[in-house]
Amino acid sequence: MAAGKNQSSSKQRPPKILLAKPGIDGHDRGVLVLARAFRDAGMEVLYAGLLPTPEEVIDTAVNEDVDVIAMSLLNGAHLTVFKRVADLMKERGIDDIALVGGGTIPEEDKPALEALGITGNYGPGTPLSTIIEHVRKRAAEAREKKMGQD
Amino acid sequence: MSGKELPKQEKRRWGRIETNIADLVSGVKENKFSSIARAISMVEDEDPLLRKDILRKIGTSATKAHVIGITGPPGIGKSTLIGNLSSGMMARGITNGVLAIDASSPFTGGSLLGNRIRMQDKLRESHVFMRSLANRGEKGGLSRSAIGAVRILESAGNQEIIIETVGAGQADLDIMNLADTIVLVLAPGLGDEIQAIKAGIMEISHIFVINKMDREGAYFAMKDIEDIVSMDDHSGWKRPVVGTTSNDNDSYNGLIDAILSHRKYLEMSNSLSVKRRYMELETALEDEINETITSKLKKKLLEEYVSGKGMGHDRLDDDPFSIAEDLLKNFLEYSIE
Repeated sequence: MAAGKNQSSSKQRPPKILLAKPGIDGHDRGVLVLARAFRDAGMEVLYAGLLPTPEEVIDTAVNEDVDVIAMSLLNGAHLTVFKRVADLMKERGIDDIALVGGGTIPEEDKPALEALGITGNYGPGTPLSTIIEHVRKRAAEAREKKMGQD
Repeated sequence: MSGKELPKQEKRRWGRIETNIADLVSGVKENKFSSIARAISMVEDEDPLLRKDILRKIGTSATKAHVIGITGPPGIGKSTLIGNLSSGMMARGITNGVLAIDASSPFTGGSLLGNRIRMQDKLRESHVFMRSLANRGEKGGLSRSAIGAVRILESAGNQEIIIETVGAGQADLDIMNLADTIVLVLAPGLGDEIQAIKAGIMEISHIFVINKMDREGAYFAMKDIEDIVSMDDHSGWKRPVVGTTSNDNDSYNGLIDAILSHRKYLEMSNSLSVKRRYMELETALEDEINETITSKLKKKLLEEYVSGKGMGHDRLDDDPFSIAEDLLKNFLEYSIE
């Protein structure tokens, strides 16, 4: 039933993403704007709420089976906190959820984050379309891993 | 699906998934949250083969779950209430899982799944599995994923399954058909709102909750509902009206008691999960018909057309709809005799 197959794969659910500020950072205006933008781009969006720990963020991501965790921090702790999330994921053997970052991240910190698999790392003033496109690309990669297509 | 002819890439994909499904199913039975989450995604994916495969392997469960539908107008406090209800049940040793349904945009298909924020702290503390589902604006699709998700949560050993919806529109009413017990949440000061929903969801609810009991007018709101309930036909289930407030954990005990006694009432009348089993069968039949009959019958009728049994290529100039109609009519007459 090749025809039925094609039809059903076109009905795959939309990308599901979790927005999180996994540190001591309560400035979430930016992340709420992003939530709205991702929704309008046709994604299913979750927001982890204020002040979750990295552990809580990962638990939510696993229970909701999201494709991307989009992390944002404006407090300068990205190298510590983003790394903690990446490390925890590795510890738990989760390789099918993509990590992207954003916030006030200096240019010289970006290679270190990229090395952890945290991509994007966009700063203030980045066009929403750039961010959406990147997240969509990472979501598609994660979805392929979940479906076992290598 | 072994007999199916799949393209090479699909075959490889299925190979991987099939080995994973065995692990997934045993994970679900052990109440492993990551397995439950992935199984629900598979059911959500709208791939009938995958859905059938996983739900079949999950099979029936030793635990018999009771499904509670929580509904009410937006902003009334359903999510917060569910957090407290669920952790209150866990404190009494009643295992439970939560599904929260949010609306999708009819324009972009996107959705903001915001229910989790209000309940996540309580649920995390009590180790309750919770999943958000987007309704994707499509009624059949949502009921399918919700039916599958309920079955998965049941086989993970949950005695109670709580579903949250906005309770508006056909899609949500469909979900409410899954529920054994429907709880309608209202709050003081709604006034006309109560009037507006009276005809629909008010009639099918089994338990009424006045939330935000610390607010002015709470007892009047309770009395309003009690007046409506007092006009019920008194045979059978007497619909209780309970008050809750999130400042007071003890206020949820009344709600838990009401839910448990409705469960007992259903069990005594042998009607627990009857509606749900019917819905499960209905969707399974629909899938089966779509998958088997539609494709097989289409193939057969096309063959008939090509081989020209009575109406072959001499109808090339006819419009396709009348040809299709004739082919089907002929076939039905033929096979019914």
